[in-house]
Amino acid sequence: MAGDSRALTTADHSPVAGLAHDARGGISNVVLGMLLFITSEVMFFGGLFAAYFNVRANAPLWPTINPETQHQFHLEMLPLVLPATFILILSSFTCQLAVWGIRRGDRTAFLRNISVTFLIGIAFLIMQGTDYVILGSEGMTLSAGTYGTTYFTLTGFHGAHVFGGVIMLGVLLYRGLAGQFSARHHDAVEAVSLYWHFVDVVWILLFSLLYLLPGKG
Amino acid sequence: MASSPRTGRSSAAIGALVVGALLVLGVIVVVVARVDVGGIGQRIVASLYPPPAVTDRAVHIRDLYNTVFAIAVVIFFVVEGLIIWTVVRYRRKPGDDELPPQTHGNAIAEVVWTVVPSLIVAFMFVISWQTLNSVEAISAQPQTKIAAVAGQFQWQFAYLAQDATPKKCEDIKPEYTQFAPTGEGGGLYVPAGRTIQLFLCSPDVIHAFYVPQFLFKRDVVPGRMNTFEFTIDKADAGGTFRGQCAELCGAGHRLMLFEVHALQGGDFDAWLQKQIAAASASPPPPPSGAPAPSGEPAPSGQPPAGGPALQISAFNIAFEQTALQAPANAPFKIDFDNKDPGTPHNVAIHEGSPTGAELFKGVIFPGPAKKTYDVPALKPGTYAFVCSVHPNMTGTLTVQ
Amino acid sequence: MATTALHPAAPAYRSTLYDWVTTTDHKKIGIMYLINSFLFFFLGGLLALGVRAELARPGLQFVTDQTYNELFTMHATFMIFLFIIPILAGFGNYIVPLQIGAPDVAFPRINALSLWMLPLAGILLILSFFTGGSAAAGWTSYAPLSEDRPLAAIGPGQDLWIVAVVFIGTSSILGAVNFLVTIFKLRAPGMTLFRMPIMVWTVLVTSILVLLATPVITSALIMLFIDRNLGGSFFDPKFGGDAILYQNIFWFYSHPAVYIMVLPAMGMISEILPVFSRKPLFGYKAFVFATAGIGALGFSVWAHHMFTTGAVYLPFFSLMTFLIAVPTGVKMFNWIFTLWRGKLRLSTPLLFALGFLSMFLIGGINGAISAAVPVDFALHDTYWVVSHLHYVLFGGSVFGVMAGLHYWFPKMTGRMLNETLGKTQFVLMFIGFNMTFFPMHQLGLMGMPRRIADYAETAGWNDLNLVATIGGFLIATSMIPLLWNVFLSLRSGKPAGDDPWEGNTLEWATSSPPPPYNFDHLPEIRSERPVFDARWGPKAHGTATAAPAEH
Repeated sequence: MAGDSRALTTADHSPVAGLAHDARGGISNVVLGMLLFITSEVMFFGGLFAAYFNVRANAPLWPTINPETQHQFHLEMLPLVLPATFILILSSFTCQLAVWGIRRGDRTAFLRNISVTFLIGIAFLIMQGTDYVILGSEGMTLSAGTYGTTYFTLTGFHGAHVFGGVIMLGVLLYRGLAGQFSARHHDAVEAVSLYWHFVDVVWILLFSLLYLLPGKG
Repeated sequence: MASSPRTGRSSAAIGALVVGALLVLGVIVVVVARVDVGGIGQRIVASLYPPPAVTDRAVHIRDLYNTVFAIAVVIFFVVEGLIIWTVVRYRRKPGDDELPPQTHGNAIAEVVWTVVPSLIVAFMFVISWQTLNSVEAISAQPQTKIAAVAGQFQWQFAYLAQDATPKKCEDIKPEYTQFAPTGEGGGLYVPAGRTIQLFLCSPDVIHAFYVPQFLFKRDVVPGRMNTFEFTIDKADAGGTFRGQCAELCGAGHRLMLFEVHALQGGDFDAWLQKQIAAASASPPPPPSGAPAPSGEPAPSGQPPAGGPALQISAFNIAFEQTALQAPANAPFKIDFDNKDPGTPHNVAIHEGSPTGAELFKGVIFPGPAKKTYDVPALKPGTYAFVCSVHPNMTGTLTVQ
Repeated sequence: MATTALHPAAPAYRSTLYDWVTTTDHKKIGIMYLINSFLFFFLGGLLALGVRAELARPGLQFVTDQTYNELFTMHATFMIFLFIIPILAGFGNYIVPLQIGAPDVAFPRINALSLWMLPLAGILLILSFFTGGSAAAGWTSYAPLSEDRPLAAIGPGQDLWIVAVVFIGTSSILGAVNFLVTIFKLRAPGMTLFRMPIMVWTVLVTSILVLLATPVITSALIMLFIDRNLGGSFFDPKFGGDAILYQNIFWFYSHPAVYIMVLPAMGMISEILPVFSRKPLFGYKAFVFATAGIGALGFSVWAHHMFTTGAVYLPFFSLMTFLIAVPTGVKMFNWIFTLWRGKLRLSTPLLFALGFLSMFLIGGINGAISAAVPVDFALHDTYWVVSHLHYVLFGGSVFGVMAGLHYWFPKMTGRMLNETLGKTQFVLMFIGFNMTFFPMHQLGLMGMPRRIADYAETAGWNDLNLVATIGGFLIATSMIPLLWNVFLSLRSGKPAGDDPWEGNTLEWATSSPPPPYNFDHLPEIRSERPVFDARWGPKAHGTATAAPAEH
């Protein structure tokens, strides 16, 4: 029985990866795995959002008072945050164009769009970081009471997820340049694009809650 | 495997003989040694119930427990009995290799043991909800209002005016504060037969107010003022009930004991008036959470102490001094600086070591504040100074 | 059915340390999960003995209050996060791919990553004892006590604790993703969802719980870390935060966590009872729905840990807590009627499974009593709760683990465990366990709170505490036959062959231990008992008895 050629072996081109494409069709293992992982990330942000809503509901005044200026904290959408939001949404489009490109086997379109997505991701992080510095100079920090704590925790973890996404996009770019993707084999591209869309949706929610929701008190 | 078909039956017979012999032996031992089976039995059964209830609401909780527990016992004996009987009855006889009937399930059985337990739990839910409503009720005009203030690691009880309506802990303005939660003269004095509303406040971490004989506890949450009511039965006037913090609050958690003393209504009124009068004669220490006014005069009436005052300070739940000296055979003063905001400390002097006899106990007060203690004369020797609230705070005092 | 003979030179277990450290084989990874988990079981057990030694008599004999707080905090932390959750993941890791006829899990390298994060986190926790004291705010780590403000009650150990638990949580989440993709996508042909073994179903539901709940505690602990170290204000009321918020977020995970800690053990019991009764599991479909029901309802009861906070809508959580008893009861009856009219072989795995049934019954009952809110007002945070949690987690899950260990040890190692030693372990453990934890019902009723290093001589708690301590040490002695059994059997245990128990499921259709690729060939899968069908012929699957099909 040993050495039976019908045996499934875990050598070389691992059949487990081969099993990633079910003969019966349907979702690939990598994509399913990413969807499940995104679900867990949704729950993580859920915990943070729950804390935010609770803190906000308990506060008599929102935004709270900045001890440095004795006025309420105020978040500016311009010149950084609104454009950053806009380009992040744009990057979801370019990311999807990259996916459609590689599905057709159009490596050029794929590489072009992935590069743009990657660069937008970096730009977003730079803009966010600059905004943090400006806020810090105005007295709004993690330790500036509940308003600062919730703002920086929520946007900070979102930024960390963008950072992770940028790394993943960079890997896709590298692998794409090395010719590792084709119309038939590009699971990683599908998975990363789902993650990137998730990051974008979280930002839209965050932006709306933190910048657009009216205050109270 | 050559095993006789009788093996199964004879091993069962041996098993039955052993059990029977043990039972007979047990009866003989019990009779000869005159073991009080009834008494022990009673104690065992009683231990499966909560302690005697002393408030009206505790009686309701006790009744609920009785019902729920009875249901639990029945369910246990039925199901466990089924398990044991099944195991005994359906043991495989040695050599029997045939398959038993391969029953996969039974829809009716599934329905029965889904519906019946649902009905049982529905019943249990309804009766517990009814009891809950009576336990949680707050009356329109409670007759006595007290705030229980829990700090690390001591309870204080603040008696409020009857028309006080505090919405937050910061609104508490006591007529009198009982600083000692246990001991001679200490504890939570309450009038039996009257509705008492208790307000729960904590300046630091979460604690819990728990009196086993109330069959009740409620958390004391900083930033929140929980409140509940109770009435101690008139018949229990004169009784003392132990209480204890029931939410981990740090290293001194197990020390947060208190006693509840139930007095007759008239006796309670007299007691309270006496405490209020005594407190206004000498300035009372401020209740926990509020900083002491500066420049408080030291208690007067003592002869001037020999030698300069000892300087002792407390910060971050520790004394800042580890070894001190004091003159022998002459009273002396201790200037005590409590630097911990909202935390009660004191200086107490024990003979020999921190677990020795307590020779002096300064009044406990929260910081940031200073007080001067007048310590009576001590013989030469080695003593320990400790904080009565925080047993880890110790130092040595050499008297010579 | 033919026995698969492994080539003598097959490297399966005669492999090097390097192989073990770098492997992505789910079987080796599963075994390492088991080894790591048992190590922390013993460590957590030692801490428990420290707790019991201190409580045996009134008076502080051995440790200070602060050290005592560290003992019970780390006892629970090790047991929950480094023993019971991972060991069930470890059994799942070993068994699930085999039971679904797959060659491995879907993401073998991530599987290895999940494993190795655990000893790393464990080392962090052990180190915390030497950095000024471990965490000491209870495994629940309630704020503001755990926030180190304004009193320095807890040192840096609390931060190490946060980091370690977040690590472990990440390991769990990755494991859950792995299990779910494996179960959904790698099943052998013919194995529809409703032909999967119940063990696989419980791992599936558990993985969904892990996926949805664990990230929430990660968020709570991260917020705690921010409060402690970065000046945050989530949970400290002095700065506008809310102490109760921590409890809500914490328990939103930690209640489903208890189902994570017990469902796979229930799955293992559901494998063992049918094999040792020689009948199928009674009510397979009802079982699946009950498991899913428990998983779903498990998300709706968290605030029953908070009944005394005054901040909870009591009737809702009381109702949901009572309701969860219903699917649990369905399972209990299904198990009992699996035994009913069977032909029971009282081997060690079955003994532990029967112990599970009886002990979990008690745990479920005393839990239902606590669901009556006014009764909980009396019993919350007393030794009654300590009794309840140990009846379900030890009497339940640990007995289930012991059953699984004795059942699958032959498959994993190719050797049988010794029955006499196994039965000795069972008797000592069963008696010791009940001696330790039954008196805690009474202690709780009498009013003994949890988490106290000492108690007044006059409180009346002396005798029962002494009995509980003796029981605890008896549990410790039951580890001796266990360890001796494992050691002896590895060296010279009877060779097991493919299928020593006449099992039902696919893992018994290959050698013991299986080759790295798991199966040379698979039998036909037409029911939830493919190996039973192959052995007795598919007709035997009905309600009629039958003689063995071929040999």
